[in-house]
Amino acid sequence: MSHPLDRYLRTDRLPHIWCPGCGIGIVVSAMLRAIDKHISEGHFSHDDVAVVSGIGCAARATLYLNFDSAHVIHGRAIPFAIGLKLVKPRLKVIVIGGDGDIAAIGGNHLLHAARRNVDLTVIMVNNMIYGMTGGQVAPTTPPTIYTTTTPYGNYEYPINVIKLLSALNTNYVARASITHPHLIERYIYKALSIEGLAFIEVLSTCPEVFGRHLGFKNAVEFFNKLKEMVRPYEKPPIERSDIVWGNEIVIGEYVINNREGFVRSVYKSLNKWCKG
Amino acid sequence: MRYELLVVGRGGQGVLLLGRILGLAAAKYCNLYVTSCESYAAETRGGDSRVDLILASSEDELDYIKVRGADIALFLHPNSLAKFSNLLKDRSKVFIDSSFPIQSLGIRNVELIKAPYTKLAEKELKNVRVANMVALGHLVGTLKILTQESIERAIDDLVSTEWRDLNKKAFKLGVRITNDEH
Amino acid sequence: MKVEYLTGNYAIAEGAMTAGLKFYAGYPITPSSEIFEYLAKELPKVGGIVVQFEDEIASINAIIGASWAGVKAMTATSGPGFSLMLEGLSLAIMIETPLVIAYVMRTGPSTGIATKSGQYDVMQVRWGAHGNYEIVAYAPWSVQEAYDLTIKSFNVSELLRIPVILLSDATLVHLWERVVMKGPGEVVIVDRKKPKVPKDMYKPYEPDEDLVPPMACFGEGYRVLVESLTHDERGYYKTTNEVQRKLVWRLVNKVRKNKHLVVDSASYFVDDAEYVIVAYGTTARSVYALVKELRSKGVRIGLFRPKSLWPIDDDALVKACSKAKKVFVVENNVGVYVNEVCRFLKNKDVISIPVIDLDIPSPEDILNVMREWL
Ligand SMILES: Cc1ncc(C[n+]2csc(CCOP(=O)(O)OP(=O)(O)O)c2C)c(N)n1
Ligand code: SF4
Repeated sequence: MSHPLDRYLRTDRLPHIWCPGCGIGIVVSAMLRAIDKHISEGHFSHDDVAVVSGIGCAARATLYLNFDSAHVIHGRAIPFAIGLKLVKPRLKVIVIGGDGDIAAIGGNHLLHAARRNVDLTVIMVNNMIYGMTGGQVAPTTPPTIYTTTTPYGNYEYPINVIKLLSALNTNYVARASITHPHLIERYIYKALSIEGLAFIEVLSTCPEVFGRHLGFKNAVEFFNKLKEMVRPYEKPPIERSDIVWGNEIVIGEYVINNREGFVRSVYKSLNKWCKG
Repeated sequence: MRYELLVVGRGGQGVLLLGRILGLAAAKYCNLYVTSCESYAAETRGGDSRVDLILASSEDELDYIKVRGADIALFLHPNSLAKFSNLLKDRSKVFIDSSFPIQSLGIRNVELIKAPYTKLAEKELKNVRVANMVALGHLVGTLKILTQESIERAIDDLVSTEWRDLNKKAFKLGVRITNDEH
Repeated sequence: MKVEYLTGNYAIAEGAMTAGLKFYAGYPITPSSEIFEYLAKELPKVGGIVVQFEDEIASINAIIGASWAGVKAMTATSGPGFSLMLEGLSLAIMIETPLVIAYVMRTGPSTGIATKSGQYDVMQVRWGAHGNYEIVAYAPWSVQEAYDLTIKSFNVSELLRIPVILLSDATLVHLWERVVMKGPGEVVIVDRKKPKVPKDMYKPYEPDEDLVPPMACFGEGYRVLVESLTHDERGYYKTTNEVQRKLVWRLVNKVRKNKHLVVDSASYFVDDAEYVIVAYGTTARSVYALVKELRSKGVRIGLFRPKSLWPIDDDALVKACSKAKKVFVVENNVGVYVNEVCRFLKNKDVISIPVIDLDIPSPEDILNVMREWL
């Protein structure tokens, strides 16, 4: 029996590689539901969707997706996606990846994509750790926590990408969590209808590696702990976006702007030459 | 046919434009092969600007890109002469702006062709900045390798409308020096 | 056909436009920036897009994305920027993306002298990226050739679905020369081949007999899968020896087996030459002058000039050197490409003549180093 979302999957490639209880699958399903909603409402077609990712557990999503998709190199999904989008503006280009992929090695590209307000939907699955490579510190790892490259506890401060992107007047900045899948779906649905850059951070669990670092016995325990911390708000103020492990973590749509997107400004300047 | 041509002047004297016009005229309007390399001195910093031009009737004659024994040289300022004398050869035709005092040459057996480009530009056109075009006119008029028409077309291509007429006037003024000499 | 008077940089930009360039991404770096600036002005007039990115890493990845959107794409850079592009170059090779990198060499290591010339990076171009692959790189010696070989770079990149490098230097790109430019129909322009099978049967990495897979691009309904991991013909990640061997050998062999469509060279006065000089790029011009001078003095000397540095036209090289007692390899670096020449002339006396010069080695300097062997 096939699931209605199966048409968006390369089902011959399943089962996927994600560990049991990993949060990434929840993000991908929510993304597919959001895409499906748009397609069924006739906003765009299956063949208008393109997904680009770098390297990491979250980035592996593209392997299973039955869209035009690209699984490129670590950190560089955004520039690839920009090249694609500028040439084929009709495409709905989604970038999905981990926090290391998008905020560390790819951080500079994210920053400039925001500055340019490039018309992409960027989904950053934030599991606060490097999952794929076995549990090294990420730019999002909370202070004092053990990781394999900070064996005496993390001595760094995490980056708050929500604040960073709001400072750049990004058109859409939201934070969701795998503990609230319907919000992931709602935000991605919204993001896909927005001009300019739409960025969604999705808090996720990595039970296999980060769960062990934190001392959780299993995926459910980790999930429940996250659920206990996460609280959704309507249009939360940006000041509430810092994440302090153990305290309340605020999710919601932080920023909605209406700046002109990059594609429109590029083509405006181009049209001066090629009339129409 | 192959000529090595060296043009030297100080930063701000318009050596590069002169070289560009010569090269463009030769390449585009006289069906010649041209190689030109420029080295540039900023006006404010002093120093020499220099253009090495090789003109040839076949592509095969183009090889090394710099002047090694100039058939023709133009010095927009005589001070540079001594410094570049090693690039001249016997019977090089050497054009010099005689508006400035020319120190003793003490160099080879070259054919010196002098005219006061700067003074002429100042006196007849009230603008010393087109001394380079006066020199160009003298050079082109004397050598007869390139047609005057080709130079005028190159000026059209390279000089903004605002300055085109003045540059062409200066060029023609230079050509007249040659005619007057005969 | 149109005659123009251009610098090397402008000729590369014009050549790219003749070849059908539609997307340029770059980051400014001397001495290549004029390519960027010229295209920023001219490319929009023919409907092309030019964007300055935050660095060379973004630039190469953006042109890879643009190429997968179906257009011809390029970037231009110099040593420091090319170093940053190497991971992207490796990606482009792996996912078989046609694109062109105009690499204008300046001095190194590191920042060196940004405005000055040299040929230090010919081995970086060949071996700089990780993994095993064949690279194609052309080295023009004149402005006309910069124009012609830029077109050829695009053609070969489209034909074989590979990145191609147009390797020039600071001296050539600032030289002004006469260029004959081609109009539509006056020069062969190659476009990547498209799939002929029904969409649901298309496999993005299934090659034809020439080892090159037809290329479906994004938005054409094929649900293509671009995959940087080792993949089978569908683009599916596989971790077996079988798939790894098949993929790597095909990527290498599609260049090797099509070498005749790629290699390019010129020989001068080699028929009876006792001495042959091998030289490429601008340095070959000084050597050409020297060879003519020595010939006029009765020395039986010739010049072999690879236009494709990678791969070298080895058959022509061997032929050119068949009568040579000594082969000299003159380069504006410490002597690096000489090893490639040696590879094909095992039984010859091959002598490295490295002459470092910030502009171009002069014929006199070259002769001075060579003299003891003549
Ligand atoms: C240039 C480069 N450096 C390092 C790596 C190794 N690497 C692969 S994934 C990864 C980080 C993964 O973390 P993240 O992006 O947060 O994704 P996750 O696996 O947690 O989903 C690293 C460092 C690489 N592939 N490429
Ligand atoms: S390592 Fe962590 S992030 Fe990666 S699949 Fe396993 S649980 Fe998920």
